[in-house]
Amino acid sequence: MLTRLDPVCLADWGAQRTAEHCLLAGAPVSVQVVEGTNALGPVGVPVAKGADALLAARLAAGDDHALAEIFDRLAPAVYAAALRVLGQGTAAQDVVQDVFVELWRHPGRYDPSAGTLRTFLLMLARHRAVDLVRSELRRIARQERQHRLTPWQQSPPVDEEVAAAEAASAVRAAVRLLPDGQRRVVELAYFEGLTCREVAQAAGIPEGTAKSRLRLALAKLEAVLDRQLLESS
Amino acid sequence: MTADERDPVVLPPGLRDRVLAASRQARAAGHYVPEVAEVSPAEAFGRSADALHGLLCALREEDWREPVLRDLDVQGLVGHLIGVEYDMHRCLSGDRAVADADHVESTQPVAVRQAGRLPAQTRAEWHHSTRRTLALVSACDPDATFAVHGMRLPLGALLVARAFELWTHDNDIRIATGLPLSAPDAPTLRRMTDLAAALLPYGATRTGLRDPLSVRLVLTGPGGGTWDVAVGAGPAGPTSAGSPDPAAAGSPESACVRIVTDAVAFCRLVANRLGPDQLDLHITGDQDQAAGVLAAACALALD
Repeated sequence: MLTRLDPVCLADWGAQRTAEHCLLAGAPVSVQVVEGTNALGPVGVPVAKGADALLAARLAAGDDHALAEIFDRLAPAVYAAALRVLGQGTAAQDVVQDVFVELWRHPGRYDPSAGTLRTFLLMLARHRAVDLVRSELRRIARQERQHRLTPWQQSPPVDEEVAAAEAASAVRAAVRLLPDGQRRVVELAYFEGLTCREVAQAAGIPEGTAKSRLRLALAKLEAVLDRQLLESS
Repeated sequence: MTADERDPVVLPPGLRDRVLAASRQARAAGHYVPEVAEVSPAEAFGRSADALHGLLCALREEDWREPVLRDLDVQGLVGHLIGVEYDMHRCLSGDRAVADADHVESTQPVAVRQAGRLPAQTRAEWHHSTRRTLALVSACDPDATFAVHGMRLPLGALLVARAFELWTHDNDIRIATGLPLSAPDAPTLRRMTDLAAALLPYGATRTGLRDPLSVRLVLTGPGGGTWDVAVGAGPAGPTSAGSPDPAAAGSPESACVRIVTDAVAFCRLVANRLGPDQLDLHITGDQDQAAGVLAAACALALD
């Protein structure tokens, strides 16, 4: 509710008003127009240049209908981008929600002069999906370690398991693309939860080599995931 | 094939509702972001007065002789404003004689009296009168209703209307003296746009809009916002700008019109300093009905 005024008093005022009183200003003045431009200067400044800029201006002004319009137009593309990274399921839907909530809360982060709204939202979706995969990767590794250290552990909620499985499948696919030596250290470190020293012992390589292979592998994994996302856009 | 047609993905059922609900939960509809600091109506009035005082201090001697409004030059217009403040003083002191006084007639003697005075004297008298207004306001019940010049408004609304008036005449003087126009600061502008949206149904009553119409008014830029206003069915005032779905913005009985324009330009329209054809307007819905709404906005400023 945006009204700040007492409706009773306003109603009284409305009933009392006659045609000859000034409410918000004095008498009208003539406006000079010079060579097609308005002499009032700032008046001629458009609300926005282009459809996306207009939508952004409406978002900033709190017009939630603009958000609904953008959703109807671009949510399928955003969802598709998330699906390409995360696979089917709730994780991709969460990305869609995060992207649109972010746009609604901070519409000023979209700069119409830098590109289209579609490009901006797909970029947001890609980043969010990658973040999700990375966090799931870390979570899986933690969970694996926990399983090794704890004799019994309560199962996580089903939806978390599903989301984790989706993210994990994307990561595992990326891991399979690594060279044998690097893939082995990643599997030992993250999927079997070994420390660097244990990885080195299990793989039969020096600890320094294990560390460098892990660093290289992680860098490649990020590059692969990013490339997948770029291709999906 | 457009870019969007490359994505034939079917969204899961319920996702749209879930996302829009989560968005509205994260940020209420209607309010501009980045958020604008709220100022009191008295502060808004004080800021407009300060801005006008700054302008008057910057004028050259010959600027005061420039014709501005009706038969008034700049000095006469400032005299008119002194007269308005004097009537405000009487109003705030409980004098009912000014309740229905004519805005121009009542102030004309003070305006005429400025002829032959030094501009500095006129400026000082006006400035002192605004300080006196604020002093009286501070002693008033903020929830009380006051009547002056045919307006009967809650104190806060009255002060915002006065801020609106000072800003409008500030720009009248700027036009007359060849200076660039000014815009209110965002918090003051937000007060003005809020008032203008709230009064839109009364403008519609004045211009004779009969058919019920749901208006979504979107004013862009700092100090703007979004309002849903019902016009044409009596003065119902604006309502929440957060209806759950665009299709639900209007009732089945009323048509829907959306008007998007710049907040400052809309205030100039409401002050009757601009015509609708001079605004950058983005209208959705029936164009004639939208024109009727804009005419209603213009009708809020009469002399």
